[in-house]
Amino acid sequence: MALAVAGAVVLGGCAAIPADPDGTLDRVRTQGVLRAGASPGADRIEVAGADVSGPEAAVVQDFAASLGAHVAWSVGGEEELVAAMERGELDLIAGGLTDASPWSDRVALTRPYITSASPDGERKHVLAVPMGENALLFALESWLDGRAP
Amino acid sequence: MSAPGEGAARFGDTELPREQHDALRRATRLQWIGIAYLLSCVVVVFVVMGSSQAMKVAWVEDLLSLVPPLVFLASLRSIRRPHSPERPYGHHRAIGSAHLASAVALFGMGAFMVFDSGSGLLKAEHPPIGTYQLLGQTVWAGWVMIAAMVYTGAGPVILGHLKKPLAETLHDKVLWADADMNAADWRTAAAAILGILGIGVGWWWADSVAALIIAASIVKDGVTGIKNALRDLMDGEARTHDDERTHPLVGAILTAARGPAWVADAAVRVRDQGHLFHVEVFVVPTATVAVADLEALAARISELDWKLHDVVVAPVSRLPDAVRSTPASG
Repeated sequence: MALAVAGAVVLGGCAAIPADPDGTLDRVRTQGVLRAGASPGADRIEVAGADVSGPEAAVVQDFAASLGAHVAWSVGGEEELVAAMERGELDLIAGGLTDASPWSDRVALTRPYITSASPDGERKHVLAVPMGENALLFALESWLDGRAP
Repeated sequence: MSAPGEGAARFGDTELPREQHDALRRATRLQWIGIAYLLSCVVVVFVVMGSSQAMKVAWVEDLLSLVPPLVFLASLRSIRRPHSPERPYGHHRAIGSAHLASAVALFGMGAFMVFDSGSGLLKAEHPPIGTYQLLGQTVWAGWVMIAAMVYTGAGPVILGHLKKPLAETLHDKVLWADADMNAADWRTAAAAILGILGIGVGWWWADSVAALIIAASIVKDGVTGIKNALRDLMDGEARTHDDERTHPLVGAILTAARGPAWVADAAVRVRDQGHLFHVEVFVVPTATVAVADLEALAARISELDWKLHDVVVAPVSRLPDAVRSTPASG
């Protein structure tokens, strides 16, 4: 196994690390579609019918654009969206989630990318991607870091 | 023979020879250094471990490897106490108890980790590893974890190789088990690194497999430790510091016991009390034997080695059953 891993690392080169076990990032880039779930929350994202808006929706749209993709929104409750992500039907969830989200053992949360004030203290906002899709997570966090605050 | 003033210069009533005295001082110093280093590893790995299962297991192992040095230092305190009518064999068994306690801790945690990693593998959990922002750069956290594992893997190997000869000199099984674990620690680090690189190339299972391998090796160390500790606690025949074979002193005692012309036959029973041996010698005299001769023989056997602190020579008309009367084969 040691040789196999070392070989894979050398062949892949550093650019391929981290990789997605399910190839999400590659698929978004080649098909040009980012399947995102939206759940209204924390004044960050609003849903009216099929129309998704708010600052977090804009963040997702900008990220998709950076990959040469457009966003296909699915609207639902957080639990529905998390379950859909576990079935591999969603690439990203935006729902005014914070770093205290109880979903952290079912979806991978990003580092907080912005903070906002709320009655119960400071909220640290995060986005969610599928568990273990580390290339997507890396791309998203790098992009969030590089974006003007 | 031994420099006065050092608190740890004796095991109970037994004064340590110069060599053992120095080894004990070095071992004590190494253990303190080791504890400080391990604490830094525990902090470093905890900070970077994220959701890697292999890192979690490596962290638990770092935490567990604090137990033997602490137990070693604690047992040094109790074995220094002299024996008394209420404690006729002294406090040397503290070593055996410490040996057992650390082995049970290893086994328990190892078994838990096997279960934890195994269920992760069965549920096909895909571990997410995110990024850190370092000096304005976004860095994959896996690289930081690998750096941490290189740091935690290198030190124990050096410490382990320094401790091993001291454990042999002191005949200290807790120190030996500790040194042995330390010396093998690079394998834990290497397995964790491979697990993280595996995740890096998209093999979600690599991390759990690495964790399972590390956990299984912890269980193995625990089982071996429990077996060896129990043998000593149940008065098994004294073995070498690494429990590989019967201690060569057993044969030496038998030869010494057969030395005097008045001894027709002899047998010995030697048990390891922790550092020191308790020796019972049975001799069948050729004719009536003087008490002074028996005492002289006991004294001669005691002088064979510093470990032989409690030697009893009993004259018998017939050797008891199941007592060593021929040298051990291996």
